[in-house]
Amino acid sequence: MQKPMKIGVLTCVLLSILGLFFFSNNVTGAAKQTLTTVYSKAAPTGLDDPMWVKIKALEVPFDGKEKFAGKKTSVTTKAVFTDSEIHFWFNWKDANMSVTKEAWTYDGKTWSHLKGDEDRISLLFEINRINNFATKGCAVTCHVPPGAPNAKEGKFGTATDAEKGDLWHWKAARSDPAGYADDGYLAKISDTKGGRKGDAGKGGDRQNMTADKSKPMYMLAPGKKLAKNGILLAGDAVEITDYSVFKAGDVVTFRMPVAAEGSFGDIKAVSRYADGAWTVLLSRKLDTGHDDDVAFNPQKKYSFAMALFDDSKDQDSYDSEALTLEFKK
Amino acid sequence: MAETEFNSMEKRLPNFAARGGFAKLLQVEVPADSICWHRFFGALQLALVFLLFLSGALMAFAYTPVPGTAYDSVDYFQFSLSLGNVVRGVHHYAWNLLLVVMGLHLLRALIVGAYKAPRRIVWISGVAFLLLMPLFIISGDLLPWDQKGYWSTQVRFSIIASIPVAGDFLVQLFRGGPLTGIVALTRLYVLHILLLPCALVLLIGLHFYFMATRGLSGPLPGKLIPRPKVPFMPAIVNRWLAVFIVSAIGLGLVAWQWPAALGDPADPTDSAFIPRPEWWVLFLNQLVAIFKGPFMVLGSAIIPGGLALLIGALPFIDRSPERRPSKRMGVMVATAVVLAGLTALSVMGYVEHFMRPEH
Repeated sequence: MQKPMKIGVLTCVLLSILGLFFFSNNVTGAAKQTLTTVYSKAAPTGLDDPMWVKIKALEVPFDGKEKFAGKKTSVTTKAVFTDSEIHFWFNWKDANMSVTKEAWTYDGKTWSHLKGDEDRISLLFEINRINNFATKGCAVTCHVPPGAPNAKEGKFGTATDAEKGDLWHWKAARSDPAGYADDGYLAKISDTKGGRKGDAGKGGDRQNMTADKSKPMYMLAPGKKLAKNGILLAGDAVEITDYSVFKAGDVVTFRMPVAAEGSFGDIKAVSRYADGAWTVLLSRKLDTGHDDDVAFNPQKKYSFAMALFDDSKDQDSYDSEALTLEFKK
Repeated sequence: MAETEFNSMEKRLPNFAARGGFAKLLQVEVPADSICWHRFFGALQLALVFLLFLSGALMAFAYTPVPGTAYDSVDYFQFSLSLGNVVRGVHHYAWNLLLVVMGLHLLRALIVGAYKAPRRIVWISGVAFLLLMPLFIISGDLLPWDQKGYWSTQVRFSIIASIPVAGDFLVQLFRGGPLTGIVALTRLYVLHILLLPCALVLLIGLHFYFMATRGLSGPLPGKLIPRPKVPFMPAIVNRWLAVFIVSAIGLGLVAWQWPAALGDPADPTDSAFIPRPEWWVLFLNQLVAIFKGPFMVLGSAIIPGGLALLIGALPFIDRSPERRPSKRMGVMVATAVVLAGLTALSVMGYVEHFMRPEH
């Protein structure tokens, strides 16, 4: 190669490096938090895997809505991904572990429901772009201002058929004891129905009550053990034939988690409540191959939003702003 | 004698064009020093333009110029189609690199006095080429319909609107209405993929034509030596192909490793989004920031417009036949002052937009 040509090629390479330095910057404007999920060859072994200590956490602020209006909280969030899976680690303070979910209690004469709901955390990703979700998050799907096409009191959903979200919903009483988070999706809202739907397959929970709704219908089957936090799983339940076995003060699960199958059970969950805080680990395949799930491409960035429910119903939540999920290899 | 040698190509290329024929092209000879390193920028520029046309054409196959859907189509192209991220990345890096290379090409011509007669028109066509680039960028930035592109376009429209007399008309021409929506996107798309490329091809053609008829600038006076010649085909063409291939592979690898960013979809209601200016426009943003209110026109139009006019008119300002830089201290000092000013403003802009905590 002639000398001028060598110099030319060298200049080309130098300019490329120069260009890279200048132009590969990530141009963003207004502050939007980014959760960076870092690559790991091996999946985390659990909540206490040493890798979680090394990973930089993102402290995500949450603002209270409805009965929590004016209150604030935060969730420490970390994430890792492997060649095939993604794992989210969450930790948030909660003074009380709430797993009651209207469980039955017996006073020696009659059955009644205990007061109390459950703690939950949910994540919403876009499967197909939801208009303005990237900038406004849950404000365009769950807390929609009056007048919006998907504004329906008490119901969630998107405004059009083209918009679709992937909803991950960890429930301390109704899904976690069975080892998963509900995998659902958010579709177009209709006049009669909300847009929140469960993924294909089996899962969720079964209500434990008799036809007249006066007492529980199922109890723990002989030889079985109650699941985490004293929850009765639907798969471990047997129909009650003799109510005399119960004594005053007994508590029986009302919403029994059903073992998840198919796309509904894509999100595996591990959790612990200790020292006044929940620690939750959610794991899923990067690409489940199901069209009701977001398929994560590590080259791409994703918008998502989170909501926290502290022993409360759907509308009473703490919501995050829209966040960005990025992959770093 | 030397000037005759330099202009050997000018006598042949028009004849070739008139008579046609591949055989004639084989006879064209150019001075061997036309492939020296400091003429490398022109070849690289042409290679980058080809890469931009090629990658742009590929992207156009998947693009839909409708707000919202435009974003989805770019997202689909980049993340769902094989090598889509590479093609879009090459397009992204190529135009950025093109700006750098064009600047160096122009600077080289300025330093060696290549703008002087009889090559004034070559210089002017080159400057026109350079001035076309901002239009390419303004029109291209909106096409992905992402936050950065949308809000950068809004900022640019507001800067253009501050130009006296023509400002509002130009914005109306680009935008086609009071809001940046589907009309603006369609107009900028047509501008970006049809009108501007046609203008660019025309300017490149004219640049080459004038170069052929007016000749390549030779070595600086005092350095005249007998110049060997090389055939245009294959020596020049092969070297250009090598530059093209190296550029394509180099940019492809860069794009593969560091894909071009695609931000959030545009949300016209999210006025909290503050776009960070691109590196090449930092100085202009800083000028606009310095001259505020009624003086904004100084930063947005008068100073940059005056500078562009000054560069274009340089051959008519510096009329002496002297080409040696050491004998043209006035032009050299003025160039250094302008470059220092642009650099200082760019650094100030960088600090303002990239290092302040509020960003």
